[in-house]
Order: sequence, then C-alpha cells, then structure tokens
Amino acid sequence: METTIPTAAVPLLELRKICKSFPGVRALTDVDLQLYSGEVHMLLGENGAGKSSLMKVLFGAYRADSGEFFSDGRPITIESPADAKRLGIAVIFQEFSLVPHLSIAQNIYLGREPRNRFGLVDHRKMHLDARAALEELGLAYDTHAYAADLGVAQQQMVEIAKALSHRARVLVMDEPTAAISDREAEALFHVVRKLRGSGVAIVYISHRMKEVFDLGDRVTVLRDGRLVQSMLATAATPDELIAMMVGRSVGTVYKRQYFGEPGKVALDVRQLTTATGVRGVDLQVRCGEIVGLSGLVGAGRTEVVRAVFGADPIQTGHVTVFGEAVTGGPHKVAAMGVGLIPENRKQEGLALKRSVHENLLTASLWKLFPRGWYQAEKARSATKALIDSLRIAPGDPSKSARVLSGGNQQKIVIGKWLSAGCRLFIFDEPTRGIDIGAKTEIFNLIENLIKDGAAVLLISSELAEIVHVCDRAYVMREGVVSGELPRESLSEQNILRLAMHGS
Amino acid sequence: MEASVERVSVVRTRRPVPSIVATSAVLAVAAMLGVPGFASSGNVTNIGLQVSILLIIAMPMTLVILSEGLDLSVGALLSLCAVVFAQTLGLGWGMALALGASVAVGMLTGLFNGALIAKLGLPPFVVTLGTLGIAHGIALVLTDGNAVVVGNPSVAQLYAWTILGIPFPVIFALLAYALTHLLLYHTRFGTYVFAIGGNRDALLLAGIKAKAFHIAIYVFGGLMVGLAALVLVGRMNSAEPASAIGMEFDAIAAVVLGGTSFERGEGWLFGTVMGVVTIGVLRNALNLLGIESSLQVVSVGILVLLVVVIDSVRKSRVNGAKA
Repeated sequence: METTIPTAAVPLLELRKICKSFPGVRALTDVDLQLYSGEVHMLLGENGAGKSSLMKVLFGAYRADSGEFFSDGRPITIESPADAKRLGIAVIFQEFSLVPHLSIAQNIYLGREPRNRFGLVDHRKMHLDARAALEELGLAYDTHAYAADLGVAQQQMVEIAKALSHRARVLVMDEPTAAISDREAEALFHVVRKLRGSGVAIVYISHRMKEVFDLGDRVTVLRDGRLVQSMLATAATPDELIAMMVGRSVGTVYKRQYFGEPGKVALDVRQLTTATGVRGVDLQVRCGEIVGLSGLVGAGRTEVVRAVFGADPIQTGHVTVFGEAVTGGPHKVAAMGVGLIPENRKQEGLALKRSVHENLLTASLWKLFPRGWYQAEKARSATKALIDSLRIAPGDPSKSARVLSGGNQQKIVIGKWLSAGCRLFIFDEPTRGIDIGAKTEIFNLIENLIKDGAAVLLISSELAEIVHVCDRAYVMREGVVSGELPRESLSEQNILRLAMHGS
Repeated sequence: MEASVERVSVVRTRRPVPSIVATSAVLAVAAMLGVPGFASSGNVTNIGLQVSILLIIAMPMTLVILSEGLDLSVGALLSLCAVVFAQTLGLGWGMALALGASVAVGMLTGLFNGALIAKLGLPPFVVTLGTLGIAHGIALVLTDGNAVVVGNPSVAQLYAWTILGIPFPVIFALLAYALTHLLLYHTRFGTYVFAIGGNRDALLLAGIKAKAFHIAIYVFGGLMVGLAALVLVGRMNSAEPASAIGMEFDAIAAVVLGGTSFERGEGWLFGTVMGVVTIGVLRNALNLLGIESSLQVVSVGILVLLVVVIDSVRKSRVNGAKA
C-alpha cells in the first residue's frame, strides 16, 4: 500500500510563492505547494492558518496577488473556477453542491446531461454512466435515488463521483470526515486509497491526527498564512506536527490584569448529552472566573452552549444555573440571569436595522417597566448609562446598529444582557471579525464583568485567546470533553493536543 | 479489500405516497355514493370540461412553485388573453392568428415577470401581484368593462368537437400535461427547474446560465395561459375582462394539493393533475348538492389546509424515524 513519491518527478500541480491579502489581513505569504500524482497530501493548520484561502486560490475562487502556478512543469494561470475545472482541479466543499430532488445520476451529470437525437435527456445512458462512475469507486448505489434521501457520507461519495466524471486529477477534500460515522469514514478512506492508486492527487484537510498518519503520504503545515514545512508523513510525529502548528503570532496578545478568587458555582453541567452530538459533558463555571471552552470547529462547543441556553433539548444529564435546575427554553434561561453572546451576532444577537437604543433595551424592557407602560425618559437614561459604561462609539443612541463597527456591535450585545441583570455570560467566538483594538476592549469588558462578580464562559477557536484570557479551560473533541486544563498547564500546545489527539 | 466496498444500495423512495392519492380516492367514492347523478357519464364529461382550463394553467404553476416561485397573475392574465383573443377575432383575424396574439400577450407578460424575478431578484409574490393589477386594468380598458361576444362560429365548434366521445378541451388539457411532462422530466430545462428551486449554487458551479432558465419558466407559463384562452372563450363564446380572476387560487391550490412544496424544489407533476381533478370533483359534487359557489371556495381552502397538515405530520414522523 505504501506509495513512494519519486522526488525527482515533476509535480502534477505546483504553486510557488503564493501571496494573497485582504484589506487589513495577509491571508497567504509566499506559500509553496507541490502535488504529485498518486499521493494523499494532508494539509494541516489551526483555524485561520490559511488552509481555506490556499484552497480557494487553487480552485480559482480567489485570485492570488502574486505567485506562480505550474501544471506538469508548464506555467499556467488559475484565475477562475472555470480555469481550475479545465485543469482537472475539483473541490468537495463541506456544504454540498447537490440538488435535493434530483436523482444521483442527474446530480452527477448536472449541466452535462447526455441527450438523444431528439434533444431529450438520455436517461438510460445517464444512469448507465452514473452507475459505472460509482462502481469505479466500489459503490453500488441506486442511481435513481434522490440526493435528499442520502446520508452525508453518501452525498460525499456522489460528490466524489461527480468530480471524477469531470476527469479531476486533483481532488481537494475539506474535512470530509467531520460529519460522518467511523464506519462511513472507513468506506471513504477505501475510496481515497483507490483514487490514489489511479493517479489522482488528493489534498486532504483534516484535524484528526489519526487520519494524517493512516492516510497521508505527505503533510504540509501552515501557520499564519505561511508554509511551515512539507514533509513525508512517515518522517513526522504527532507532537512535532502540533508544535509546528502552534505559536502563531497574533499581534498584541491580551494581558490579563485581574485575577479573583472563584466564588459560588454559577453554571454546573453534569453528564450533558444531546441529540446534536454532545456526549456526557461535565463542566463548571464559578463567579469571578473566566472559563475557556476550546476545541476545533465542529467539536461540539456551540452545541453545549445551545443546550445550556435551552435552545436544544437535553437528552440526559442536567444543567444547573446559580443552583437552580434549567428546564425551560431560552426565555426562561435568560430570566435566570444567563446572557448568550452568540457567534453570529449579526443574525442572532442584534436587530441591525434598529437603533442602538432599542437594541440595548430589548432584553430588559420588562425589568425596566414591569407594568408594561413604556416611559421614554427612564429608557433614555438607562441607555445613556449603558453607552457610557461600555464606551460604545458613536454614542448616539438613535444610530442604527448596522453602522457601528464589529467591536461596538459586540458591546451592544453585551450591554443588552447587562441591562437585563445577567450574572453568567456565555461568549461564543466574541472576537471573530473584529480588529485588534476592539478585541482588547472586549477582553477588558469581560474582565470587568468578573470583577463585578459575574461568571464568564468563553468559547474561542483562537488558542492564544484562551491561553491569555482564561483562568482555566475545557477542551472538547468529537462531542466529549477530552480534558480540563488549569491555569498552570494552559498552553496552545496542550489545547491543540487535546483537541486533535484527545489525550 | 473487497470487504469494505459499500454494497448498501440506497432505497429509491423512502418517502410516503402523497396524501392526495388517498384524498382524491376517498372524495371520488364519497361523491359516487352520496351525490345523486355524480357518476353519470354526462356528469363525468362535465367535470372534464370544468377542469380543463385549470389543468392547463396548473401545469406551469407547478414549475413556478418548484423553482421556489409563485405566479399570482395567471387569473388576470388569462382574462386579458381571452379578451385579446375575442377582440382580434372580432377584427376578422383567423382563429390561429388570434390565438397567436393571445399567446404573444401571455408570453410577453411571462417574460416581464421572469425578468424581474430572475434578473433583479425581486420576490415573485410582489412582481406577479403587480402584473395581476396591470393585466386586469388593461383588460378593463380594452373592453370598457363589457363582455366581448365572438361572432366567428369556429371557436364554439372547436370547443364542442369530440374525438371518440372525448371533448376537445379535455384533449387539449391532456396535451398540455403531456408537453409539460416531457419538458419537466425529459429535457435539460426540466432538470434545471428542480435545481433552481433546490440548489441554485449547484447550477452556477456547473456553469449553467440559471437566470435564462428561470425566466423561461415564467415564459412557458405565459404560453400556456395564452393557449388556455382558446378554451375559455370557446366555453362562453365571449370574453369578459374578469372571467378568470381568482383562478390563480385554484391553480396554486391544485399544485399544493398535489404534494409540491414551496421549498427545495420538491414536487410531482402528476400530483398536480390529481389536485386539479380533486378540486373539480369537489366543486362538481357541491354544485350537484346545490351548495353555492362561495362555500365551494371555502371547502377548497379547507381541503388544501387539511392535505398540507396531513402531509407535514406524516413527513415529520418519517424524519423522526430516520433520526
């Protein structure tokens, strides 16, 4: 099964010195990548290391600012998805491009339907071809089945068949095992090995160490948009790879000022299991401490929070907030003093078209006006107090929330829960998409919250944030807590090891 | 190695038979047993004549809804096309030429609807509500609000023509069904109708000009409406500016009864045929029982809600079982 890569051979596809930047961010700097025929090339890196950007450049979805491309040693350009397709590059995204109520065969040949001499779709030929394409992969699917009736793993297989029917020579798979069972993953690996045997170059993005060594021929590690190293998988160890991935320079790292003594338990989660994939999670947050919840994207962090907040039903286990068992939906949980600052603040946390004033008071109207009569003067002064204490800029309460910067929008969401009298704050990726200065301000705010005796649970994919901001952290992997790190052993390396390896 | 090859074949259809099948059967049997005169051959022909126009316009409505769209303008447009047909006949145009004028009006309106919806991304509800008003207004202006009587006898003759005892309007409607079936299930256009409703990005990734096909759905709708004017005018031997207003309700109801969803491009053309027949049977039976037409509208509305509720409950059970 071992394939040896003839180092003298000309790569099927080569990228040299690829740079790509966006306003304010350098996504890729001088990245080199060689892809050889018949290899499985694992691409590793923390969230935000540049894997997605690199793949988008490869697929023509982004145009590189500078850099060169070579196909079989000849210089080429990739400026659009059509260019990439012509060169035989196919990407299987995590969100599939299948049409639910068309058959497998119709999906594979979408846009290239074979036609008979009357100009009608030749269903017979299409199904025969589709069956042949699937049999190439060792799959005996009924090609008449609708995509809507397939499981995730089966849809993935159909996507692969579709890509290969385009005669793809380079196949990019973005975390293909993220949402499928172990048994399905085995079937997928079988197909991947088969493709490798037939000379396809496979780029495989993964966060699972086991896959890297089970499946990979070579490994490339990215960090901060730069190439760290490309090497044979046999020449690397898990610890070395993790060491290469961590240590990002995140610019100004936050410096924690205040450490308090943990007070009474604010949040107590025991053996939480949900239908959304959380399995037997235990965690506690006390007043006066910031507890991190880390793990890779899809590890189940958001699912834990949704269950705690009453947004998803709890299957087994229980959640206690300030000594009281959580039973009802989000409305009830919020009334118990829990404020959720969601990851997707624009969709879930804010009414963008409404004013700062209205947004700040949405969660506390009943508290301010228990009889249901709105008093404009009282509302105005409550808003003003919040704007001043949170230093929201611009301080004009009548401005619509849309025009504020990401950091200030985040402050409004915090202010909304503050005014409602919350004592436990759950932050889900609070710094995503906001600049360094605003990040510092958000962390100052979080610190002020615990100074006042509140409790904070912080979810972040930025390892450095967890390390620098939290008192301690839980790390999740595949729906379970794979470890708890006290402040002394809170390091990026330890988090990543628990997140990828599980021990 | 072969051991790990996935041989699990996917079962083709795990979904339940749409409720319309049972609903239409129950309704037909009930009408046969409980409504005197319902099962006579004369009455069956009558039902066929009554539903023929609805069937013709419900065909493109199925495609429109499959593409996550809606067309509220068909009733008003059909009235306008009938007026155009009758007036051009009155000018001495031949039947074919007059029908051509009706079809042209229908297709141009469809093009207008489709362009605003597909190119500008405006909501179908709003766009077709606008064209409803425009078409109705133009029909009133053209006729001064009066009926246009047709002098040319060939239209009425065509309407009364039968082949093997089957009236021409029924044959015409069946041909419309056959044509739509061919388009939807045997051409690329039909495949893309499902994709426009189900996953537009998939079409774009496949390099297909989705917008052109999206517009074509509404143009096809205009074509069918233009043709349906022939049957409408033939039936009354005249055209009134508001004769088909409200028919969009029955057309949308028939599509929904037939199990086509407003989301994700899920649907079934023959289901629409059954929906049309079900509405026809219901109205006919209520007619025979002497129930006035406003109450018939109420009963169609109740039927639609009933079937939709049953389907959604059954679907959530199936999904529950899967998870």
